[in-house]
Amino acid sequence: MDSNQKRKNESSKKPKVQVEDLHKSFNGKQVLKGVSFEVYSGETLAIIGPSGCGKSTILKLLCGLLQPDKGKVEMATDNIGLVFQGSALLNSLTVRQNLSLALRGHKLKRNEETKKIEEKLNLVGLKEQIDSYPSQLSGGQQKRTSFARAIVYDPEIILYDEPTTGLDPVMSTIIEDYMIELESKLHAASIVVTHQLSTWTRTADRAVLLHDGKIVWQGVPQEAMNSSDPFIKQFAHASREGPMEIG
Amino acid sequence: MQQQPVIKNGIFKPYLIFEAWFGSGVRLCGQTILLLFHTIRYILQGKIDWPEVFRQSNMIGVKSFAVVAITALFTGFAMSLQIARELVLFGADTAIGGVVSLALIREIGPITAGVMVAGRVGSAIAAELTTMMITEQIDALKVMRIDPAQYLVVPRYLAGVFMMPVLSIYAMFIGLFAGILIAQSAANLPMATFLDSVKQTILDRDFHVHFIKSFINATIIIMFSCAIGLSTRGGAEDVGIATTRAIVWTMTMIFVFNYIVTSLTYAPR
Repeated sequence: MDSNQKRKNESSKKPKVQVEDLHKSFNGKQVLKGVSFEVYSGETLAIIGPSGCGKSTILKLLCGLLQPDKGKVEMATDNIGLVFQGSALLNSLTVRQNLSLALRGHKLKRNEETKKIEEKLNLVGLKEQIDSYPSQLSGGQQKRTSFARAIVYDPEIILYDEPTTGLDPVMSTIIEDYMIELESKLHAASIVVTHQLSTWTRTADRAVLLHDGKIVWQGVPQEAMNSSDPFIKQFAHASREGPMEIG
Repeated sequence: MQQQPVIKNGIFKPYLIFEAWFGSGVRLCGQTILLLFHTIRYILQGKIDWPEVFRQSNMIGVKSFAVVAITALFTGFAMSLQIARELVLFGADTAIGGVVSLALIREIGPITAGVMVAGRVGSAIAAELTTMMITEQIDALKVMRIDPAQYLVVPRYLAGVFMMPVLSIYAMFIGLFAGILIAQSAANLPMATFLDSVKQTILDRDFHVHFIKSFINATIIIMFSCAIGLSTRGGAEDVGIATTRAIVWTMTMIFVFNYIVTSLTYAPR
């Protein structure tokens, strides 16, 4: 066992994120009907499922933007970074100011703040765009800036909401590589919400499949393609035939 | 924004429209009052981003000067013309300056500036904040533990409170200028006579009421627009709905509160 693996195991004893029997409904429509899972330090969990099955709702419940109707969400820390589906950068601020805003509550000295911002922008290859406005960046660059903003204060939990949706295959691979690199560098607990096959198979250690507000399958992504479970078989092979009725 | 049903159990019930309208109005007033309390709390705690206050002062105040000037000038022309015509008929042309200035300082100045700022700034704030809600920028602030009330509303409110009295006084002076021009051209009244009449008529209390009205107008415009922007969800269509809603609510409230202040300060006892 190498030292990295050892450290990972030591810090993995207590879950960073623990979710129990989560229920949530909107306007009388029940979106989540008892979802439970946990995530440990240094681990990436993928929440997969068809569009509208409540994946993004789980992320909003985890970071406190929504409150559950029933169930429990336990986060070991409030040092959380969230990468939004649509980047959600503040349009009136430059890349530097967007990252600086995320560090606002951390009371850093100006030179420390600049160092941190440049370090994270370097990590996502956007140091040259530090004084650009979001409107001057491409979709992929905006997504990478959103990444840098989410990790600028070294969060212990990183949440990704559809990080590769809408991107071309090359940019998707670049983003996935960043996610893998971040996991090894920050050793954070990560949750990726996605329906992109390459994203969850490449970046996640574990995956849970959500359908009709419940977890219908969980396991290792690499085994999903050969699984005999009808739910994951249908989802992983993008088949119309199966127990999941999409409508 | 969700459409409220007007048909219940297969029966058309028009009162449901009123119920939905009344319910959303009460909800908005409650949200506005809560937002005002949060904003004042942050101001009292000194949590103010002054560079942003100056930036907003430029957006709300400086960029409104032209439109307020044009509106006040033509309102002043029309009003002075009507007043001059009637007073000349009664041989009271020396009172033109006093009557025009009273109308301007008590009603027309604050109302003109308030309505123009509500149209130009209130709608822009509602559209900007609604877009920020829809594109998850507000959610991003919350995840970063930044209260949107502190980051977005406090600077806009302070800028509004600083700039609105300036714009109202400015509208009043532009209106007076229009009055002088009309008095000279329509009633052959010298400028000195006009200004003498103004000095004899205007009291300190008129200035106090003028500033109270300006302060209330600023509070109405910024708070209602921000509350509407921060409570709207949905898509592109909702940006338009929020903008219209902000204009309708702010203008209606400006006229309602203008009457309340006038009745409390000038009603005969």
